[in-house]
Amino acid sequence: MKENVVIIGGGVAGLEAAKNLHRLGYQTFLVEKNKKLGGHVAIWHKLFPDMASTKAIIKEMVDDIKDVTVFLDTQVKTIESAYGGYQIAFSNGVNVHAKAVLVASGFELFEAAKKEEYGYGIYDHVITNADLEAWMNGNKDQRIPAAPKAIGFVHCVGSRDLKAGNSQCSKVCCMTAIKQAIEMKERFPNAEVYCFYMDLRLFGKKYEDFYINAQRDFGIHFVRGRVSEVSETIDGHLQVKAEDTLIGRPLKVQLDMLVLMAGMVANNQIKPIVEQAKLEIDSDGFLKSSDNITHIIESGRDGIFYAGACTGTKTVPETVAEARAAALAIHDYISGL
Amino acid sequence: MIDFGFTLSKSSTVDLNKIDHSRYDQLVKLVPTARMCMNCGSCGATCTVSEYKGMSVRKVLYGIQRGEDVKAMLSSCMLCGKCTMVCPRGINTRNLILNLCKLYD
Amino acid sequence: MIDRIPSGFHPFVIPFLVGMAFVLLYCFGAMIRVLYELSWQDRKKFFLSLLNPKILLKDIKDIFLNCLIHVPLWKRNKLFGYMHSSIAFGWFMIILLGHIEVLLFVPGRINLFYYPIFFNYFVAEDDVTLRGSLLFFLMDFFLLLIMSGIAIAIFRRIKNHVFGVKRMARPTFLNLVGLYSLWAIFPLRWLAESFTAHISGGSFMTIPANWLFRQFLGNELNMLPTWWAYSIALCVFMCVLPFTRYMHIPAEMLLIPMRNAGLKVRSSRKGFARVEFFSCPNCGVCIDACPMTVDNGNVKDCTVYLTRQLRRNNEERIQEISDKCLLCGKCEALCQVGVEGPGLRILERARRDYTVPFLYPAGDKKVESRKVLYFAGCMTHLTPAIGRSVEAIMKKAGIDFTWLDEQGGLCCGRPMFTAGRIAEAKAIVANMEKLILESGCDTLLVSCPICYKMFREQYNLPGVEIVNYIPFINNLINTGRIKVEKSDICYVYHDPCELGRGCGMYEEPRKLLGRSAGIAEAGHNREESICCGGSLGSLSLDFSQRENMTKAALNDLYTSNADAIATACPLCQATFARYADRPVKDIAEIVNNQIL
Repeated sequence: MKENVVIIGGGVAGLEAAKNLHRLGYQTFLVEKNKKLGGHVAIWHKLFPDMASTKAIIKEMVDDIKDVTVFLDTQVKTIESAYGGYQIAFSNGVNVHAKAVLVASGFELFEAAKKEEYGYGIYDHVITNADLEAWMNGNKDQRIPAAPKAIGFVHCVGSRDLKAGNSQCSKVCCMTAIKQAIEMKERFPNAEVYCFYMDLRLFGKKYEDFYINAQRDFGIHFVRGRVSEVSETIDGHLQVKAEDTLIGRPLKVQLDMLVLMAGMVANNQIKPIVEQAKLEIDSDGFLKSSDNITHIIESGRDGIFYAGACTGTKTVPETVAEARAAALAIHDYISGL
Repeated sequence: MIDFGFTLSKSSTVDLNKIDHSRYDQLVKLVPTARMCMNCGSCGATCTVSEYKGMSVRKVLYGIQRGEDVKAMLSSCMLCGKCTMVCPRGINTRNLILNLCKLYD
Repeated sequence: MIDRIPSGFHPFVIPFLVGMAFVLLYCFGAMIRVLYELSWQDRKKFFLSLLNPKILLKDIKDIFLNCLIHVPLWKRNKLFGYMHSSIAFGWFMIILLGHIEVLLFVPGRINLFYYPIFFNYFVAEDDVTLRGSLLFFLMDFFLLLIMSGIAIAIFRRIKNHVFGVKRMARPTFLNLVGLYSLWAIFPLRWLAESFTAHISGGSFMTIPANWLFRQFLGNELNMLPTWWAYSIALCVFMCVLPFTRYMHIPAEMLLIPMRNAGLKVRSSRKGFARVEFFSCPNCGVCIDACPMTVDNGNVKDCTVYLTRQLRRNNEERIQEISDKCLLCGKCEALCQVGVEGPGLRILERARRDYTVPFLYPAGDKKVESRKVLYFAGCMTHLTPAIGRSVEAIMKKAGIDFTWLDEQGGLCCGRPMFTAGRIAEAKAIVANMEKLILESGCDTLLVSCPICYKMFREQYNLPGVEIVNYIPFINNLINTGRIKVEKSDICYVYHDPCELGRGCGMYEEPRKLLGRSAGIAEAGHNREESICCGGSLGSLSLDFSQRENMTKAALNDLYTSNADAIATACPLCQATFARYADRPVKDIAEIVNNQIL
């Protein structure tokens, strides 16, 4: 076994990097603050554009790291520069001297209750994209009616919103909304499904095809206007107000349930690590890379590397690619290349 | 004039070369955040009087950039400030309206 | 005590006479101008108040307590109070005692205006009497008092923070001339009286000094130059007085009787307002009070600069200052002379010309109600937890309750009013009054303090009781219609500007919150509460410029170490929720969750 490498975060980035670093012969330590591996992807049901089951994807990834030392339910307590590497103390009492550290701490889902005007936590039938995926994974959810007749999706909840403190686009919500809209329409063919969007940002492979399917095959209604407020009628329906900006008139519609597409925000739980390792935070709140074109995975500090959504909003394929790149970069760094 | 038996209606094309930009230019000098609108429609959706008069700060802002008359909308504004609250770009919509109410003659 | 100079005159009194004549003429002219600018009703009201012995007595009492003793300043800061009252009261006593001396010893000279001021030069002590010694002792005592005040003032200039007042308005050149001449007057007087003390007599300050000077300086040669210098210092001070902050001394003596007569500002430039902005002593209390001055920003947009620019008629700056203010009212609450910072700004905004008229957009709306009509207000539609909590509480209490604005609201007119479009605001008020009166309700329940202030002050709703939800819910608990249980969570209560300083409601919300949860106080609370920064009062402050104001207010709330923040205003709640690191809840929501 060669040098020690510590990976912070057991989501798809951490799993993919752990697999590759282990194959390259490094003694790899993967720490995950939760009791399960897989991060946000593990709570999702299916991934676009292949509608692949996340269960199968995560299972495969976890199987690939059988021989890697994994600390679950564990956090980094302290990290300090020492002897050409980093001395790291974990909350489970283990101390490791690592030659390199990979930060793969990912993102946090925007707290939808912060946009109080949408009534998450106040009205009975308002849920988030994550709640819907959990429900599709088999979790019970009282907020989802047995046979909804009208379902709304609000794009950009906490994204592209200076008032919510996030000016960035979360990249995946447009596509997720269309995916979830189709999935709901498949379950409830008689329901009318509305997507309230500001701009549809469908940039990835086969994304536009999903959009076409949603329009042509599923008759999903797209309303170009950001929802500004939601109220509840006496009979328990949700009244949604938006402006139809394409015809320039205010619009309202009664719905049985509303799904808020909560965006990605920077993970604040790594603040102590950032301070101790003297890492830089970018203007968008995410970790600052050496540059955002050819050195996204480099922190600017010797021996510390980044992968995935800790440096900004990313899709799963982007994250996996970055994780592999980071593993190779760590190998190059340790080999003195 | 020779009568051809039909009349030509006014062109409905917005000719950006011919539109008078001076009012918009004056506005952005007074309210620099006016430039930040991304047409999301939050203001018009939340507006207290949009239901009655179709008011929308977004429409006012794009109206003056496209040479439309927006006075009727401006006349209906009660300055309640809900649009300022919901604007995701932090545009100072009340100041924008107050200044536009002064810029018309 | 006998007259020493037979003619009773010496040329050194001329500078003093010139200064005195100038300042008296100027102030008299200014007073005539102000009286002329008042409406005839106000003028009549003012003159009648001077004939009313009760008000007149109050005028005298207030002038004595405010202008001489500086009672409000003592309450705020003891050292500051001492500094001002020692100079003002001491000076007043010296003038008074000077007159008494003249009356007692040389009554024939009382018609000479300068005699009490330069008494010691013109007299010689022929006989030591008890009353003479007593008067001389008092003279020296008050001179010492003043000089101690001036010593503090000089010390303050050097070490500002000692007084807890961090920032002062930057003095202009003339203000500095006024300041230094004021500082010079009293030491010069002491020197002049000391050099003369072997002739005129003196007391514990002047006699020893006279003896001391005799040892190495001699007195005779220095006598006249110091009397000249004293007179010139007085002249300089009085000549610059109308153009400096010291104009507050005469202006406040007019402000107090006018305010006691019940006069209100009706224009931002004329009449009562003029007296008000000339009464600003430039103390700078408003700079520290202002929520906009966090991180030393916007200092020049505080009320002290508004009054300064109003004096100068600097239109551009007046407009900028008037438009920026959040109208939180803290400067007015803490102002020692009661300059109405927000009121003056609203009137200033009212001077603007709008070419697009306002046409009330929703004249055909109708609502029916039997008893309690609930007006949530525009902002509450963006913080739905408040409206729903109020509704739930009413249901649990069995109140016959109707929403006035459940599906989309109507504005109360307050934002239009604070923007200075008074006539337009009145059009909104008239339409709303009609809507409410036609509904048939007997109570108008209001949860938004912005609306509540407007309803209280600008609406005429005969037969309809206007109540804020806080006392209303308190009353429901008092009468046993609902019962609440105390939760373990500790909340720090933020006083919303419009409810606290705006409507004077400080204790009712604390009582209600205390019944349903633990309660803590912020570093600054009640009338000193810091605005959340979200206020609609400001026209020109952009979203990005408000961020550090909100954060400063939050940091002040965090000093309480409470688990969460409670408030009673939808705008404060929404503004705080953006940056707060702990939950921000409305009192109604907290109470509703604690109902048994």
